[in-house]
Amino acid sequence: MNRTVLIVGSAITIALVAVLFLGLGKDPTAINSPLVGKPAPPFALTSLGGQRFDIRQLRGKPVIVNFWATWCVPCYQEHPVLVENARTIGGDVQFLGVVFNDSEDKINAFLRERGSAYPTLLDQQGKTAIEYGVGGVPETFFINRRGVIVAKFVGPMTTEILQSNLSKALQ
Amino acid sequence: MIFLFFLLVALAPPQGRPLSGTALEQRTQEVSSLLRCPVCQGMSVADSPSTVALDMKHQVRDMLARGYTQEQILAYFVQSYGQFVLLKPENRLIWILPILILIAGAIVVVTTARKLSPPAG
Repeated sequence: MNRTVLIVGSAITIALVAVLFLGLGKDPTAINSPLVGKPAPPFALTSLGGQRFDIRQLRGKPVIVNFWATWCVPCYQEHPVLVENARTIGGDVQFLGVVFNDSEDKINAFLRERGSAYPTLLDQQGKTAIEYGVGGVPETFFINRRGVIVAKFVGPMTTEILQSNLSKALQ
Repeated sequence: MIFLFFLLVALAPPQGRPLSGTALEQRTQEVSSLLRCPVCQGMSVADSPSTVALDMKHQVRDMLARGYTQEQILAYFVQSYGQFVLLKPENRLIWILPILILIAGAIVVVTTARKLSPPAG
């Protein structure tokens, strides 16, 4: 009986320590998106220029959807990375910026000052952001040619992070 | 499979009656209190003043006004945010498992203590 208790006790202890150890390197605030591996929720939004964009019409081309806002401090850091990459690879990949809880005046001023290289769409009352499970901004979704979300990144991206996630969408 | 279930529930037509007025406001508050604000620490959508929570609350109100039931609304949010968005997880195992582990531990301790204690007399 003592041997059985020892074996069972050791197994439980090892399992608990392993679970705790695996969790050490993880960001406690990071939440896996249930949308990764699933078809991207469809949306049709109007751009700042008044053009209607329906994501379903972009099938056949990888899409990067970046949720951001002018009141988001990390978005200032990320914006040049997105613009630079869109200018370089924008012919092969569709970049879309989705702004929520913001005013058109502030968005226009932001883009005038910092440059723009892809459509900026307006998400009224954050409905699209909710359907993508967006908590804070910036958050970026990588969608492959078949319209499936293959990766999500929370926080400001560097070129390395963008390229690494984009490679999954290009497969 | 679970995702498919939630997808079917969420995309189904409204299964309740459309609400308005005081009833709408009351149900909005009740259903929002079941949802976790994704940018807060343990705060419900009903209690949080954050913009994301206000958008989510607006969406709850809109769906209730269109006749969606509480179950459909929660499924809609789970579809986007996962089970995390529910303040009371639907998986009952989460509540039962700690109690089962506690009982199993108590049995092991009592059994071991009996074996180790010298026989009376």
